[in-house]
Amino acid sequence: MSQEVEKRCGELVGKSKEVVRETFEKFKPSEMAVTWTGGKDSTTNLWIVRQVCLEDNIDLPPVITIDEGDAFTEITDFLIRISKKWNVDLEWLCNFDVLKCCQSHLGSTVKVKDLNERNQAELKRIGFEEASFTFEAESYAGNHLMKTVVLNKFIEENNIKTLFMALRRDEQTARKSDEYFTKKEGGYLTPEHTRVSPILHFTERDIWDNIKLHNIPYCPLYEIGYRSLGARSTSNPGVVGVPAWEQDIEHIPERAGRRQDKEKAMDRLRKLGYM
Amino acid sequence: MVSTRQNVILLTVDTLRKDALGCYGNKGELAPFVDSLEDKCIKFTKAQSIGPYTQASFPGILTSSYYLEYGREKKLSSKRTLISEVLKKAGITTAGFHSNPYLSDFFGWNRGWDIFYDSMDIDVTPEVPYVKGDGINKKVGEWLSLYTKGKEYRPFFLWLHYMDVHEPYVPERKYIDMVDASVSISQDEMFNLFKSVVLKRDVSDKGTVRLLKKLYDAHVREVDDYIKEFFRILEKLNLLKDSVIIVSSDHGDEFNEHGGLSHDGKMHSELIDVPLLIYDYGRAKGEVCHTLVSNIDLSPTIVHLFGLELVKDFEGHSLFPLGDYPKKGCFGEAIDKVGQKEKDTDKPVYFYRENDLKIIYRESENIWEMYNLKEDRKEVNNIIDTSSMADDMKEKVRPRIRKMG
Repeated sequence: MSQEVEKRCGELVGKSKEVVRETFEKFKPSEMAVTWTGGKDSTTNLWIVRQVCLEDNIDLPPVITIDEGDAFTEITDFLIRISKKWNVDLEWLCNFDVLKCCQSHLGSTVKVKDLNERNQAELKRIGFEEASFTFEAESYAGNHLMKTVVLNKFIEENNIKTLFMALRRDEQTARKSDEYFTKKEGGYLTPEHTRVSPILHFTERDIWDNIKLHNIPYCPLYEIGYRSLGARSTSNPGVVGVPAWEQDIEHIPERAGRRQDKEKAMDRLRKLGYM
Repeated sequence: MVSTRQNVILLTVDTLRKDALGCYGNKGELAPFVDSLEDKCIKFTKAQSIGPYTQASFPGILTSSYYLEYGREKKLSSKRTLISEVLKKAGITTAGFHSNPYLSDFFGWNRGWDIFYDSMDIDVTPEVPYVKGDGINKKVGEWLSLYTKGKEYRPFFLWLHYMDVHEPYVPERKYIDMVDASVSISQDEMFNLFKSVVLKRDVSDKGTVRLLKKLYDAHVREVDDYIKEFFRILEKLNLLKDSVIIVSSDHGDEFNEHGGLSHDGKMHSELIDVPLLIYDYGRAKGEVCHTLVSNIDLSPTIVHLFGLELVKDFEGHSLFPLGDYPKKGCFGEAIDKVGQKEKDTDKPVYFYRENDLKIIYRESENIWEMYNLKEDRKEVNNIIDTSSMADDMKEKVRPRIRKMG
């Protein structure tokens, strides 16, 4: 690895550590949590937060991961393996009520009336008024219940004020001006909290350079061609058989293999009354 | 009005009715800022949209082609040429900022833009399911200030589109107060009206429809503030005198004029008439143009303003020079749907307007309607069986129906 790359990684990580330290100064460590999906970004993010904690002798805040009911076994294995290695007490979050209603089967139907009160209220809040929905990752109702609701519930129940997340500015043009600290306003069923993105300034290339430089572990799915990992049924490899870091990162969009763009547009259309 | 060294800005407002603006006769002072521009604009009094909702209209605005030209496409056909593609090829910087999902990356509208912001990654609420005008302005302002600091200045084409008038009609209190301070309604109540009345197209209660129109008006008042703020940004960056600014909307909105709400597949004036103002600081002096024009002419006009050659794929004509604009009728098409979900079995609906005559054909019921807009502005008196012009007008639409059939 060239000295230039090493120097750049040093600067990038240095900046991230500054953000993490600023967070520890501004907010109470007992009211923090780190999100971890097992993907390359959130693993890098956790690695940095953990480095700061080791260097400054601070207890690592709780680390959480959300099980959407459609995870790659490779990711689950990775999370278990690395949490042991890093001595992380990983908390697994899941909306079991939804899983119960569909017997954990992707593609089966969830009847809204079978859901618990909170889940029903959540669907009402987002304007979902159908009697049932198909359980699948990234679907409108499913996505909300399995991800957003689980996270909000965790924040609320544990009185969390600050969340470390692994957003990257280059990931989508829409994110170009995001700040390191974004305050999420509270409201009905949505607890107020601040989201911190220490690796905001990393590009996809930087992530891989830094992973290689520091021997940070990564999920083996990246070796066989995946560039971005979400739910199993909605993620596809970029170029099959070519490791992520050897692909044309600079020219082909990272999330081309994911169905989220469609779901985001559909979600908006639904809210505007077009569905 | 050729301005080879100038920028062109296209500012579109979703769902903005022509008659919501004071410069088109509204007495409610809903858009004092836009109205104040009138003196520096060419105002088109008979601008038509080629379609009554975003997907049917925007192919006209940004690709100068009709909605059904390439069949019932879900995404923008690769056969269409976007104005951004034409301009980028000619070395002009292109930037688009909006928050309409139908015009997002996913639907293929991101071609040819140097900067394309569709906001789809931002979390939105059910009450305000888009990035508001101030958010769009912030993005545009950031980009413009960076761009104008660049060493080598190149002219740019900027398109920005505000969603703030679109339902759900849940405006902020202060804007409701500006429209009618006696209206007392909570956010939840407004949102409930959206779900139980607007989405169900329930026009049974006239008072409720009137209330909805007031909330819509409050949205118009709000978007006027964002347009004002955008002009301030241009002024601050000293761009006003170097830019031609086209202000229009993609379609209007219905409040029971023809038995419906929102904007379905109908071709009446509350949906098809659009405002069109072309602001050219220092040149235009409150001109008014009564020629019948269409938003399919906007892209050719922009090409002309940049001094570029005609684009052969474009079906419209440049509005400039005004004297060369051909006398022609205006055409539009959409899918005849009520309620917002478009089904594959829904049939097309067409309109054609020439002078003050307008003919509408709904294929699903094989129904023709014709209106004389001079005497019947509201389009309530169907003259298809009595007018001697009916057959002539039918013949003008038939080739298109056959082509689509």
